[in-house]
Amino acid sequence: MKYLVVDDSKLARLSLVKSLKSQVPDAEIFQATNGQEAVEIMLQEKTEIIFLDLTMPIMDGYETLPKLLEIDSKAKIIVVSADVQTKAKEKVIALGAQLHMQKPINLDKMKEILEII
Amino acid sequence: MRQYELTEDEKDVLQELMNVAYGNATAVVADMLDAFASLSIPNIRVLTTHELLSTFTQLKAQSYFFATQAFSGEFSGESAFFIDQESANNLAKHLELDNAEDLDDAILELTNVLTSSLTTKLSQEMDTEVSFSLPSLSRVSLNNIQKTPTFQHYSQVIVIDTDLNFQDQKIHGKIFILTKDESIQWLKTKLNSILELLI
Repeated sequence: MKYLVVDDSKLARLSLVKSLKSQVPDAEIFQATNGQEAVEIMLQEKTEIIFLDLTMPIMDGYETLPKLLEIDSKAKIIVVSADVQTKAKEKVIALGAQLHMQKPINLDKMKEILEII
Repeated sequence: MRQYELTEDEKDVLQELMNVAYGNATAVVADMLDAFASLSIPNIRVLTTHELLSTFTQLKAQSYFFATQAFSGEFSGESAFFIDQESANNLAKHLELDNAEDLDDAILELTNVLTSSLTTKLSQEMDTEVSFSLPSLSRVSLNNIQKTPTFQHYSQVIVIDTDLNFQDQKIHGKIFILTKDESIQWLKTKLNSILELLI
C-alpha cells in the first residue's frame, strides 16, 4: 500500500514514518514538505493513505485536502495537527478527512489510526 | 560573550515542538474566548537583544500592552505576550468589558493561560519541568520598549515568535519565548537528543 506523509517539519515526518514502519514494515512511503508537493506526488503515485499537516508554508492543509480528494476521492486522509481547536477538527472532517489526530503521532496513536481506517 | 547558533535540524525540532505546544495553548485560549484562532508557523531565531529590539521598528501601532511571565528550571527564561491597543480594545469589546482595570485583568489572565500552557507543553515535550512566576503587565509606547525590564535581563536570546490571530474578533498578538545563555546550551543538547532518537 502507498502512503504519503505531508509535513514541513523533518522531525514530524521522521517521527510519523518511524511509527508507520513499525506497524506496516512493507509500507511504500512518500514524503512532501508542503501541500503543493503533496498534490504533485498524489498525481503521480495515487497514494491511498495520506497523513496531512495543517500549518505549512506554500499550501496549507486546508487548501490541500480538497485538492487531494479531487485527484482520488477514495483516498483516506488523516489530518495530523497541533491545532486541536474544536472548529479546526470540524472543518477538516467537513472537507472530507477521515480523522483528525493530535501531534505528535507515537506508536499507540498510529495503531489506533490504522485500526480505525 | 559566547555566540550561539542553531543548526537547521535544531531549528526544525524546536519549531515542531513549539507548534505542538502552541496548538495546545491556543485551544485553551480559544475555549476561554469562545473564538477560533488561525495558527501560524513559529519563527525561531537566535538574536542579540539589540537585534530583537530593532525588529520592533517594523511595528505600526504606537501603543502596546506587554505582558511577561518568567519560568525557571533546566529550561528557563521568560514568555512575553505583545498586543497592540486596537487588539486590546477588540478584546474588551469581545468580552464586554467596560473599564481599563477589567481589561488589564483580562490581558493578564489571557497571558497567564497562554504562556503557561505553552511553556508547560513545550517543557513536557522536552521531558523537563518548569515553575512559573506571576505574570506582569505594562503599557509601553513603541519608543520606550527598549526600557522594558525584560530586555535588560538578556544579552543573547532564542526568540520563538508566533502570532495569536483571532480573525473574526480582530485580536492579534505576538508571543515570544526568551531564554538565557545557559538555557540555550541545554536546549541545543536536548534538541539533538530528540532528533537522534528518530534517526
